[in-house]
Amino acid sequence: MSKYIHSVFSATIIIGMILLPLSGCKKFLDKKSDSTLATAHTLEDLQALMDNYGTINSRDILSGEVSADDYYLTENDWMAMPKQGDRRMYTWTSDYLFDDASNDWSNGFSLVYYANTVLEKIGDIKRGKDNAAVWDNVKGQALFIKAKAYLQLAAVFCLAYDSSSSGADLGLPLRNTTDFNEQSVRASLRETYNEITTDLQAAASLLPEQPLHAMRASKAAAHGLLARTYLWMRKYNEALKYADSCLKIKNGILDYSSLSASKTYPLPPFNSEVIYSSMAPPPRPLSIVKAKIVNELYSAYGSNDVRRQLFFRPNPDGSVGFRGSYNGNPALFCGPATDEMLLIHAECSARNEDLITAGKDMDGLLKYRIKGYTGSQFTDKKQALQFILTERRKELLMRGLRWMDVKRLNKEGANISLQRTIGAAKYSLPPNDPRFALPVPEDAIAISGMQQNPR
Amino acid sequence: MRIYCIITACCLFVCAVTSGQVSVTGTVSSYATGSPLTGATVQYETKNTLTDDQGNFRIAVHKDSFTLKLSFSGYTTWKKTYRAPYPKHIDILLEPRTALLSEVTVSTGYQKLPKERATGSFTTIGEQLFNQQVTTNVMDRLEAIANGYSVYRGQNGQQRNMVRGMSTIKGMTDPLVIVDNFPYEGDLANINPNMVESITILKDAAAASIWGTRAGNGVIVITTKKGGFNKPLQIDFSANLTTTAKPDLFYQKPISSSDFIDVEELLYKKGYYNYWINSADRPALTPVIELLIQKENGAITTDDYQQKTAALRKIDVRNEFAKYVYCKAFNQQYFLNLSGGGFQHSWIFSSGIDRNISNLDAKDSRINLRFSHVYKPFKKWTFTTSLLYTLASQTNGRPGYGTVSTASGALYPYARFRDDGGAPISIMKDYRQPYIDSAGGGRLLNWNYYPAEDYLFQHMTATRQDITANLDLGYQIFKTLSAEIKYQYGRQSTDITNIQGLNSYFTKNLVNRFSEIDATGAFVRHIPVGAIMDQSSNVISSHQVRGQLNYHNTWSRHSVSAIAGAEMRDISSDGGNYRLYGFDEDLLTHGSVDYTRPFTSWFGGGPDFIPDPSANRQSSNRFVSLYANAAYTLGNRYSFSASGRKDASNLFGVHANEKWNLLWSSGFSWTLSRERFYHSRLFPLLKLRATYGYSGNVDTRRAAVTTIVYNGVSPYTLLPYARFENFPNPNLRWEKVATLNLGIDFKLKSDILTGSVEYYQKKGADLFGTVPVDYTSVAAFTILKNVASMSASGVDISLSSINMNRAVKWYSDLNINYYQDKVTDYYLSSNDASSFLNGGAQIAGLKGKPVYSIFSYPWAGLDPATGDPRGYVKGAVSKDYTALAGSSVQVTDLQYNGPATPRMIATLGNTVSWKNVSLTFRLMGKFGHYFKKSSINYTSLFAYKMGHADFSNRWQQPGDERTTNIPSMVYPANSSRDRFYTNSEALIDKGDHIRLKYIALSYDWIRSGLPLKRISFHFNVNNIGILWRSNKDRLDPDYFMGSIPEPTSVTIGIKGTF
Repeated sequence: MSKYIHSVFSATIIIGMILLPLSGCKKFLDKKSDSTLATAHTLEDLQALMDNYGTINSRDILSGEVSADDYYLTENDWMAMPKQGDRRMYTWTSDYLFDDASNDWSNGFSLVYYANTVLEKIGDIKRGKDNAAVWDNVKGQALFIKAKAYLQLAAVFCLAYDSSSSGADLGLPLRNTTDFNEQSVRASLRETYNEITTDLQAAASLLPEQPLHAMRASKAAAHGLLARTYLWMRKYNEALKYADSCLKIKNGILDYSSLSASKTYPLPPFNSEVIYSSMAPPPRPLSIVKAKIVNELYSAYGSNDVRRQLFFRPNPDGSVGFRGSYNGNPALFCGPATDEMLLIHAECSARNEDLITAGKDMDGLLKYRIKGYTGSQFTDKKQALQFILTERRKELLMRGLRWMDVKRLNKEGANISLQRTIGAAKYSLPPNDPRFALPVPEDAIAISGMQQNPR
Repeated sequence: MRIYCIITACCLFVCAVTSGQVSVTGTVSSYATGSPLTGATVQYETKNTLTDDQGNFRIAVHKDSFTLKLSFSGYTTWKKTYRAPYPKHIDILLEPRTALLSEVTVSTGYQKLPKERATGSFTTIGEQLFNQQVTTNVMDRLEAIANGYSVYRGQNGQQRNMVRGMSTIKGMTDPLVIVDNFPYEGDLANINPNMVESITILKDAAAASIWGTRAGNGVIVITTKKGGFNKPLQIDFSANLTTTAKPDLFYQKPISSSDFIDVEELLYKKGYYNYWINSADRPALTPVIELLIQKENGAITTDDYQQKTAALRKIDVRNEFAKYVYCKAFNQQYFLNLSGGGFQHSWIFSSGIDRNISNLDAKDSRINLRFSHVYKPFKKWTFTTSLLYTLASQTNGRPGYGTVSTASGALYPYARFRDDGGAPISIMKDYRQPYIDSAGGGRLLNWNYYPAEDYLFQHMTATRQDITANLDLGYQIFKTLSAEIKYQYGRQSTDITNIQGLNSYFTKNLVNRFSEIDATGAFVRHIPVGAIMDQSSNVISSHQVRGQLNYHNTWSRHSVSAIAGAEMRDISSDGGNYRLYGFDEDLLTHGSVDYTRPFTSWFGGGPDFIPDPSANRQSSNRFVSLYANAAYTLGNRYSFSASGRKDASNLFGVHANEKWNLLWSSGFSWTLSRERFYHSRLFPLLKLRATYGYSGNVDTRRAAVTTIVYNGVSPYTLLPYARFENFPNPNLRWEKVATLNLGIDFKLKSDILTGSVEYYQKKGADLFGTVPVDYTSVAAFTILKNVASMSASGVDISLSSINMNRAVKWYSDLNINYYQDKVTDYYLSSNDASSFLNGGAQIAGLKGKPVYSIFSYPWAGLDPATGDPRGYVKGAVSKDYTALAGSSVQVTDLQYNGPATPRMIATLGNTVSWKNVSLTFRLMGKFGHYFKKSSINYTSLFAYKMGHADFSNRWQQPGDERTTNIPSMVYPANSSRDRFYTNSEALIDKGDHIRLKYIALSYDWIRSGLPLKRISFHFNVNNIGILWRSNKDRLDPDYFMGSIPEPTSVTIGIKGTF
């Protein structure tokens, strides 16, 4: 009997030893499975997502620039482009312009997703005394990034803003959630621009005046994009107001005559004009070797114009390629800069018949561009506008702005018709053609069931 | 604390119990292998018992004499009468009935059980079958011999190992591998095949579901050799030498040099290269284009040009690779095993050395040391300790065919590596030759790349060390109840040092690119001159502890065998890598670079920051599990089994109540032939089995919430930045697989034929599926969801026969695995045809079709007038490639050709032996699947220099369409036209083939009474080649689209026992 008790006792101990490790099991399982993983629940996490410069600052939308008229391709170069979509986009074909999985639409909306993640997650983080500045800054940046993406997308994939028809014109699908199960439905163009201006205004009230680095958004950047947005909406008073408040924060203009033309890419990155650094590598048709600047534009730079050397690199055939990006490398800079703000300020002032201010603005810019510049004399609004718009094109080429300028100015009656020639074939894009809104990539339409732009 | 408990427990139960009768112990082992036999029936007086997992038994004898009878399935019965005084210990060797029959004990990693009582589905591979092939790796041997285990080889050498096909769509298909008792967390290449005693594959739910959420893909249990009690010292040794031929580079069919030069001349004339010629980055052109430029500049005459290109047309770079890069591979394998045991001990010591030189002259070596000791200090206690140490190291080899690329795509086919005098020749790799010849005025490092010698300047060594230590404690509480605690510690460290010397192209190129002439005209380098050293290290360590109670009892007609236990596992890995620039290999000094500032590259613009690959990573996975398994046998005829397991883990982000999930199984078997009413003499054994149950699939990389990964430090903000790793999906669950298994085991009279036929059905539910997603809504193109379910069914047939049993013996064994699967549910956001045209490389996910399916564009032949490929748009023959191959094409417009994975895999082994000589050869066939052939794609040819030999058979003039399906060349290339042709039905072929997998010839020499008891010599030939195939292009359907068949290898070896 005692043997039996012995055995039972021993069994109990052994079973106890077996079960011992199981107590405290909850704690054991609470360890995070991968220390490089984070759930994006702190302000640092959210900021780190937006500091991902490879995505946030380097995927600007340039299909508009590819479709615009500041450059041309030779027949050989056009034929040698391996992707059909590139060849089709250059000739304003109405569909199948995007061959790659990753395209302007996906790049734009991935920024919207980043921003939406931050905006959703920041709701769970308490804004207190200690973190108020950081909290505001993070939220402001998210709103800014979202608006930047929408603005660039709308310029390429929607028609020009026209207050009379914008309620009916197709806008973008406005995504306000990270739930990808929610279907994408296109809003009107009015709602789209409303969203952009609302987000930018909210961002401006949250963002600091001075960013940690030009890779991050600031109050000046939000005002700068607001000025650009209202200009594209042809709301010139608002555009003037925001260009003005932007320039109040940041107004440095780079003296081009101090720069050396011997560098391959002479314009330095993060220079004193850069309000927010945002760019994209040149799409294949815009590569410096292929894209040749149209003679009409190149010949507009006078011999005293420093930009003639700084912006261009001669090709063996006598044509020139563009090398004047504010990025110091082949990537094309598209962010707001003080030169753009001065030009918006000047244009809107001229449209308001304030020719003196317009003249001052232009002088403030051109004295750093043209050797021996003597100042401009504006006699009337028409002459002033013509001068300013020409200078705008000369100063801001390859910044992703020309396409929208053509669309908006055609709405003002400029009657700009675009022409291309490939061998014997001629292509043209008349003013206000529906093809000024590029087709949404067909695969995105197929998956979401969204409405395609009228073709 | 725990140690104290163990000591206390030890002290409490030292007092052993002795009984009145005479006690006799014994050990039963296999005559063929010397390994102990578990579950052999021991009959004496009127009682019977079974041997334990060490092959031991203990009987209590009451009378003056008794007859001992031992029987074990697959072995001849042994019988002997003993008279008092009895020997204390009896060693019994049972002789296998046929040499081919594998031992019939199965191991699940938790227990060993006799196969005749099991209800589940197991494949067992004994030592003899396992050693018919000679490889460094354990897993490499299984495909040819294991019933139900298959390897699918896809495009570009991708490989999937599967047990009974697929159970998951998106997750890993690799089965769980158990070494002895615990999942092996290190690299499987650490395990020396010579240490393996047997392998058990757990195929159905009753067999595998004890492994819970990791068992969904099946389980492979590797059992290593053990010592035996009361055994004199035995020494086994073996040595193998293997040589492997150079791979057949001519299996691949690139465009010929002459055709390629014609294409270059054409493109040059069209101005195609102007872009490259004018580019500021000076991207490399090819020798022919440089000659064309010189001809145009007048630097060389047309005659010179013709002469030079005529010479280039004769060169085939594959010959250069074969001559200067590839060599014969050579493997040496040595193994020594010592084992023995006394009354209380048994031990084994193994050591193995492997030294290999690969076809690319990469060297790797492996040293294995293993010691295992079982100690029974008292009757009821068993202590087992074992230690396995592995040291493996590898060095880099030469760059193989297809790995040398240039700035404009693939290497041109007329590249030469050495001149007639043997001096190395550089190829035009990244930058234009005339430019790098003069750039920098001598201040830059030599910018040439010499493929024949560049590898000499790279010194990569990878060292892997693995220690696996086990400590087991067993205690027999009652006769019927025992308890055990098992603990395993594993630690594998991998250290890789890669020094790319100053003379290596990698280093020269990086240093040059980060050189510039600054504003003052001075030459500046931003990367110090010296070698670049990358170091990475990774440590995986695991602690696994298990407590288990075992209950075995047999009374009258009943027998119960049950286990229950709990285990905890903690697997953590810790790793990182860093780089040193300007490293001096002799002085061990290094330079410094500025990672925070962008630099203007040599070409202006270009690369901004100096690459900084430093990173650190840590992870830790923890599991807690409870499990139980019970089997009840009634009257030796009916067996019932049931098992259940709950797993919890810390897998990140999963909602707590989803952490625990119960997976269970149950089974039944009926040995019909033991019924009284059964009288068939034809089938002396007939057994029916049925099981059903669940197992799971966990992918530790998946989480249900937003997760981000920190990527590095932004050079702008100097703060860390992050990207998304996982997009939130709160509904993410584990995959669940339900398996039904029905089987019959049978044996024909006098063992002429034994075998089993099993039918199974698997239903996978809640499977992960990657679905294309509206990229408007998320920063991704595809997303993972529990959207899928699939079903699979199959038949596994395993037959062994004795065809002749006289002086000449002839045995055969045949495995037939018939398998088919289909997707039963999948969330297809898109029916876009392009998702289905990957030639089986990715899952198709179309309801009702196999998981991996081959689809193609319907083919309407070439246009007789132009040689354009044609297809069908809405039933009409068309050449509108946007309509034929654009994104408007739906999967319903495609032709479904068939599954990408074989429907039937069969292996047939035949062994013929006469006296001491035995010859085995094994055939393997795969049937019922399809594959996509590669062909000419003009877009790739022009843009990336990737051409195909089909170019020479292309349509060139009307009438050619009658003999060829290869489209004419057009310029500019139309990528839709190319996409249409390369994904069309014209390039789909049947995969059926039969190959001769290996031949093994051996001579055995057995002598008793000498110190050398046994010696055998063997000669093996592996991967002999295809005997029959259904395709007419002489393609090996296991190696297509960029991979080269494994070359034949020949081994001679010797084995001996003292």
